[in-house]
Amino acid sequence: MAPRRAREREMLVDSLYSVIALVFVLVACVELCDAATVVDVYRLIQYDMSGTPFGSRLASLNHHAGSMQFSPHADLSRAVLMIPLRELNMTFIKEYIAQRKPLGGLLLLLPQLFSFENRDCTGSNNQNHGKDQLKNVLEELEQILIHTNLPYPVYFAFEDDDVNSVLTDIKKNDATGQPATATTGGYKFVVSAPEPKRVSSPTITNIQGWLAGTKTDDDASQVPTIAIVASYDTFGAAPALSVGSDSNGSGVVALLEIARLFSLLYSNPKTRGRYNLLFGLTSGGPYNYNGTQKWLRSFDQRLRESVDYAICLNSIGSWENELLIHVSKPPENAYIKQIFEGFSSVAEELGFKVSLKHKKINISNSRVAWEHEQFSRLRVTAATISGLSTAPQLLERTGGLVDSRHFVNETAITRTVKLIAEGLARHIYVAPFLPKDDPFVLALKKELEDHTDEVNLQREVLDGMFTFYDSTRAMLNIYQVASVTFDLLLLLVLGSYLIVLFSFLVITTRGLDDLISLFRRPPSRKVKTA
Amino acid sequence: MTVFHFFNCAILTFGPHAVYYSATPLSEYDTLGTSVKAAVVYLATALVKLVCLATFLKVSESDSFDPYQEFLKALIGFIDVAGLYFALTQLTHRNISQNHKFQAVGLGWAFADSVLHRLAPLWVGARGLEFTWDYILQGLEANANLVLSISLAALGSLMWLRKNKPKTLIPIIYICAGIVATMPSITSYLKRGLGWHFPKVVGFELFTSLVMAFTSWQLFAACQRPSV
Repeated sequence: MAPRRAREREMLVDSLYSVIALVFVLVACVELCDAATVVDVYRLIQYDMSGTPFGSRLASLNHHAGSMQFSPHADLSRAVLMIPLRELNMTFIKEYIAQRKPLGGLLLLLPQLFSFENRDCTGSNNQNHGKDQLKNVLEELEQILIHTNLPYPVYFAFEDDDVNSVLTDIKKNDATGQPATATTGGYKFVVSAPEPKRVSSPTITNIQGWLAGTKTDDDASQVPTIAIVASYDTFGAAPALSVGSDSNGSGVVALLEIARLFSLLYSNPKTRGRYNLLFGLTSGGPYNYNGTQKWLRSFDQRLRESVDYAICLNSIGSWENELLIHVSKPPENAYIKQIFEGFSSVAEELGFKVSLKHKKINISNSRVAWEHEQFSRLRVTAATISGLSTAPQLLERTGGLVDSRHFVNETAITRTVKLIAEGLARHIYVAPFLPKDDPFVLALKKELEDHTDEVNLQREVLDGMFTFYDSTRAMLNIYQVASVTFDLLLLLVLGSYLIVLFSFLVITTRGLDDLISLFRRPPSRKVKTA
Repeated sequence: MTVFHFFNCAILTFGPHAVYYSATPLSEYDTLGTSVKAAVVYLATALVKLVCLATFLKVSESDSFDPYQEFLKALIGFIDVAGLYFALTQLTHRNISQNHKFQAVGLGWAFADSVLHRLAPLWVGARGLEFTWDYILQGLEANANLVLSISLAALGSLMWLRKNKPKTLIPIIYICAGIVATMPSITSYLKRGLGWHFPKVVGFELFTSLVMAFTSWQLFAACQRPSV
């Protein structure tokens, strides 16, 4: 009987072991994520320019949180600094980056007004001044960040109630200098994003639309073309946030509006103009207008020769009184004169000024400052209409974080559209067709579908100096954690509780002697056998 | 470290059961079989209760205290008592004294209850990075539950197994048993109707469990004495 019982017991123990092993396997598999707060965060851009790395090189994050009020001897290499934009200390950042001090990560909090979901544009005078200040700070910060190589993750997030309460908690903790306890809350930031990979062969897409003009019977030669071009690409500190409302959202909006106006006219054969209209939305704007170059190269020779002139639109959303036409051919050129005179007369009627700026192209320099330069390099007359007076530097004013809808002046865009539409119309149509007053142009503005005869897409590969990396958007999990000491303390308390319970039960059920005898058994036995 | 926390909470929740078993004479008399049988009976009762709840109870959207629903839940709670009765009287136990029988049954009952109700939330929740006090409070609740189960088993054994009881004490026994049996309804009323927070409710449970344990101990001792 006994051996059988022993064998049974053995089998039971064995099966128990396998169950325990299974449980441990389950332990390893189950993943948890229940955080106190989950926030959408957007990563700083990561790119290589001609092989040199820039931007934030890491994506995943798993560190304790700290704020600007950290104690001087705190070790920040394993901490994530959480800095709201309003309290940003620019000298601190510059110093930190210049000296390449180690940091676990950086989380920058942007005020809600930069959020693209925030449609509230109104504000008092005071607020506007504050907004401008913030805008300048952010612009400066953006320029610093995209031109530096940062070996730690940098994320942007928008302020909201949860995030603000977490920040105040962290500041309180740091101020007291105490290590985080269970109740006051130490916070841990976790972003589990995959390792950023290169985007192999980033594609740029150019979109073109075509409105055919009428051939007049006595005109044996080909119908000439006028091209209207705008680039729609942006480059900013946070790719997921680069809205680029002014650079070049304003240009794109204007182009679409002009296309709509002329499509109305061109849909009726009687009001069709003598020119073909070619609308182009090009990509690769921040990268020396690479897309425009490819688009032009893909043109048929005849098409290219038939283009009388091209008008490029760039940043027409934030000018006040003066719009500039940038050209690369000298102002004495007949075409340029024609364009300029046409536009300036319209501008006079509309009540603002248009001036001409000439900038020569330097063929040896690969840097393309304005879009029209790509046209000029291929012998097509072109001009850029812009609110900017000087060409932006490489990667400057390319529609970054700052370029949000609030800072765009809508009347500026409308006036530009009026200017271009009027000017083109006067050029395209002989006088009887188009009365010279505004109400006609205004009456054309109705809600209609965009209507062109042919719409083509052209996909090209972006070549040259830029390499991009993905992983731009992630979710930040904020956990409130207790320190190790708390767990150890708890273990101690529980251990003593169980011991007390044990002794209590032994005493009450078996008597005090039994408890003592638990510890004294060996000696008493020896005594007995002796 | 979070597994550490899970380990701590597990000790708090299940440790006392093991300690109880080893500290009292239960281990000497090898009453593990009884406890296991009681646990199985608890499982069966839980299933029956589940089916009844699903059939008879309406799902209410709000978290308020609905007297009718709570009354229904209390009635279904009495199935618990029936299960305990079954475990105490119908199961064949080896020859162990009544004193130890109710302890073993109560222990097995409470252990099954803790495992069923508290293990899964503990497993899923306590291992996360996020720290909350909930699981520690849950462990304390498990302790209170252990004491309550044992006192209920004691009172049950008094009611059904002991034949000669002093007449005066019988109503008191039944009243105490009734209170202990309706503890779940009382706690849910406190949580929902009065809006007490979890720590307060747990404190109340601990307090009442100690009081009931003391009372049932006294009653049991009183019934041990030969009736006059």
